[in-house]
Amino acid sequence: MTAWKTRRSPRLGPFGMRVLFWVLVELWVLNIADLLLTRYSLWLGFATESNNVMSYFFHTGEVPAGVFKIGIVTVGTLLLWRLRRYRTALFAAALLAGVFAAVVAYQALWVLSL
Amino acid sequence: MPEPLTPTGTTPAPHLGAQPLTQGAQPRRRRSEAWALLFAALVLLVGAAVGTVGFLAEQATANWRPHIARTQTGWRITEARMLGLSGLALCDGHLAWQDGASILLLDLRSGKAKLLGPGSQALTTWQPAISERYVVWFEGRQAGALSAGAWTYDIATRRRSQIATVGDVLSLPSVSGARTVWCTSGNARSQIVGVDLTNGKGFVVASEYGQPAIDGSLVAWGRSAGGGPSTFGIVDLTQDRSWTVVPSGLGGSGSLTGFDLSGRTLVWGQQDAQTGVGRIVAQNVDTGATSVVAEDARMATAPSVDGDAVVWGEQTPDGAAYQVMGRRLSGGPSFQIARVDGRIQTALVSGGTVAWLVRNFAAGGPAWIETTRLPR
Repeated sequence: MTAWKTRRSPRLGPFGMRVLFWVLVELWVLNIADLLLTRYSLWLGFATESNNVMSYFFHTGEVPAGVFKIGIVTVGTLLLWRLRRYRTALFAAALLAGVFAAVVAYQALWVLSL
Repeated sequence: MPEPLTPTGTTPAPHLGAQPLTQGAQPRRRRSEAWALLFAALVLLVGAAVGTVGFLAEQATANWRPHIARTQTGWRITEARMLGLSGLALCDGHLAWQDGASILLLDLRSGKAKLLGPGSQALTTWQPAISERYVVWFEGRQAGALSAGAWTYDIATRRRSQIATVGDVLSLPSVSGARTVWCTSGNARSQIVGVDLTNGKGFVVASEYGQPAIDGSLVAWGRSAGGGPSTFGIVDLTQDRSWTVVPSGLGGSGSLTGFDLSGRTLVWGQQDAQTGVGRIVAQNVDTGATSVVAEDARMATAPSVDGDAVVWGEQTPDGAAYQVMGRRLSGGPSFQIARVDGRIQTALVSGGTVAWLVRNFAAGGPAWIETTRLPR
């Protein structure tokens, strides 16, 4: 039973939690960068929002779009921090931060290339 | 019994021997924090690297880029996709043109090209126009569309935006400064209309048909009578004044090859449809005073004027090639700017730069665009 539990939910040590903390901070900041770059790209007129949910919010207005995007990532970040004892939380946070970093790097280069 | 909140006299007081433990823990904690930050940065770097590779791969596979090569005096742009180059427009260090349905812009200082249109929902474009700050063009949703959206690209802010919906495209756009004009139909009749690009406000220039050209506050368009050109309509937008200019000596079997406007000077070309021989005339729109810029020009293109410089393309006297020609309105003979082994479609001048679009003599050969400095 103990072995099964350990397999299901490997624990994070204090060092892992510190890594998780910084990755979550990174994720939150990258989300803001993504929001600003998306807003700027849409303003430039060369891009369209491919995410239907965000497209709906951007059509509603910039404030609702910002509140939704920052809100949902903040909630997700807090949820992952609440699950900080589990190693899966660190993997999930690293994956999300990596994807956001890729998107932000792509967008930044694209905007610079215009 | 509750424990005392403060240490009592019986509790051993902390002594200095505990200090080294605290001092050792702090650097370890800092090191651990630094390693944690390093791991977080690694995640960021890996993600950014993936994004960069994706961007570079996309750029490498983009097929809209023409071949751009620097020449001794300017640039040479050769079509890469063989969809046909057309609609050349030149103004103050920027060149815009159509490559298939793509609208491209080249910065003549850096040689960097940009794809301006069409957008993801458009398939057709019309030839662009360019001013010091704005590029204006039409985009239609489907091939052969009559209606279109009028789009602009602001060179200063790098912003692309739709400025109007054109019900019936009856002419190409023309732009000068922050004003753009074109001909469309409204209420079942033709209208020359415009848009102020600084505030998006539309205005009506004249309720008639014509391909308008704008320079500063003046708008000019040719009026046709019985297939041939008869007069030019002129409107001064700041003075809200309109009048007609009767072109001196225009008529007979000659057809209008095109016209251009710079300041108060209208320059137009006329060509005999059968012989291909024609002439180019400059005329002051206020006084009507004319001067012949070129006589007996063979297969001449529409003239282009900027300040006192007039430029056009024509066949060489031996008929073996084409040449880009220029002449100063202030005086002096016409001069050759370049000899071209292909048929010149368009020759333009602006801000001391001359650009021309050439169709290859060989069928199926690539078209190209060249630029050079206007000889002083």
